[in-house]
Amino acid sequence: MKPALLVFGYGLVVAWCLPALLTRLTAAGLSARLGLAAWLAAMVSVLASVLSAIQYLFTAAVTGWPHLAEAVCRSVAGGACTTVVYRSAFFELALGVAAIAAALALAVLAWRYGRRVQRAQRRTRAHAEAARITGRRLPGGAAVVLDAARPAAYCVPGRPAAIVLTSAALAVLDPGQLAAVLAHERAHLAGRHHLLIGLTRGLAATFPGVPLFTQAPAEVARLAEMCADDAAARRSSRPMLVAALLAMGTGAAVPAAALAATTCAVSARVQRLLEPAPRGRYVGNRVALVAVILLLAAVSVLVTCYAGPLAAHGLGLR
Amino acid sequence: MRGFGDLETVIMHMVWDHDGPATVRELFDKLRQERAIAYTTVMSTMDNLHRKGWLDRAKEGKAYRYTATASREEYSARLMREALTGGGDAEMVLSHFVADMDGAESEALRTVVRRLAGRGSE
Repeated sequence: MKPALLVFGYGLVVAWCLPALLTRLTAAGLSARLGLAAWLAAMVSVLASVLSAIQYLFTAAVTGWPHLAEAVCRSVAGGACTTVVYRSAFFELALGVAAIAAALALAVLAWRYGRRVQRAQRRTRAHAEAARITGRRLPGGAAVVLDAARPAAYCVPGRPAAIVLTSAALAVLDPGQLAAVLAHERAHLAGRHHLLIGLTRGLAATFPGVPLFTQAPAEVARLAEMCADDAAARRSSRPMLVAALLAMGTGAAVPAAALAATTCAVSARVQRLLEPAPRGRYVGNRVALVAVILLLAAVSVLVTCYAGPLAAHGLGLR
Repeated sequence: MRGFGDLETVIMHMVWDHDGPATVRELFDKLRQERAIAYTTVMSTMDNLHRKGWLDRAKEGKAYRYTATASREEYSARLMREALTGGGDAEMVLSHFVADMDGAESEALRTVVRRLAGRGSE
């Protein structure tokens, strides 16, 4: 029992205490990609620990069934629990039904999660196809253009994926800014960010009330934006990307030359593009994130690889 | 090389631009002028579009006359609505270039743009 509690406890600590630390470490987006990795590592680690705990309990229940029945009986009925009671077919049946119910509940959660992710994927693919059929091709075929009064640009994963621009977006972007927007969206598709966000949202819907899972979708999406910003800035330039962000955000054309002079920072995204932090802070942030990821990975591997042997060992000692 | 999906796009746009209901023959005659294409390819593509709900058709003599189920503008509006609301229950995963901008932030951005524009003209 103890190893299972330990493993499960570790999962609880990560799920409830780590989000605050991760949010602080990734807030400024100093190393967006590592931040993304840290959030994912935390989620994988929690899932692995919970599954290991369940696997441990299952192994223990199967191998030590008579003792388990006795222990459960005593904890429920105390002194009234006699050998006759816990060896009765009725009591065994009740315990068996409870175990099956728990397993079924888990299976239902997993099934719901799978369905949710699948349904979202199907809708997204349908949207990509509809956009491709409805839209006009941008010269060069890099994107499709929909007629709309509101500036918008987004990418839709699918086979093939589509980058969608509205006619209003085309109107406010100059060619350099347009290239920056396209580079940003292409980075999303190349990095498979939709998969990360889709899976994370599915987890949040499946486990409501668990802070790590409920906070992850927004954080993962935010860090994915910053990753794509970094890629786009490398392809074009930071001022060009910021100009594109301002133009799209306000719906007004922005002269790129005017931007070079600005030190104003508005959103976190614009701020990190305009005012890169000193080198030392980058290094410190990276070291901290790598440490978190390594720690999570090490404990997860320990937990998943040794849960089985540990279970057998624990039973042998008892 | 243009793919099969691309032909659906081309045909839908032709139907939208066509005056009134169109037959496969009419669209085929137009398409043949710009690319090497078989009549059956056009027919099966239009059949696909009908099956997917993009085209309505009515029998007229031996042939079908096809019309779009909604105008291009209606489809555009529907797509934009879906893209901006995220698709309801089964949320779609779309990555917007600027999505999470609330009123205050967009106002702050506008101020920056105004200041920049002022500085640029000085």
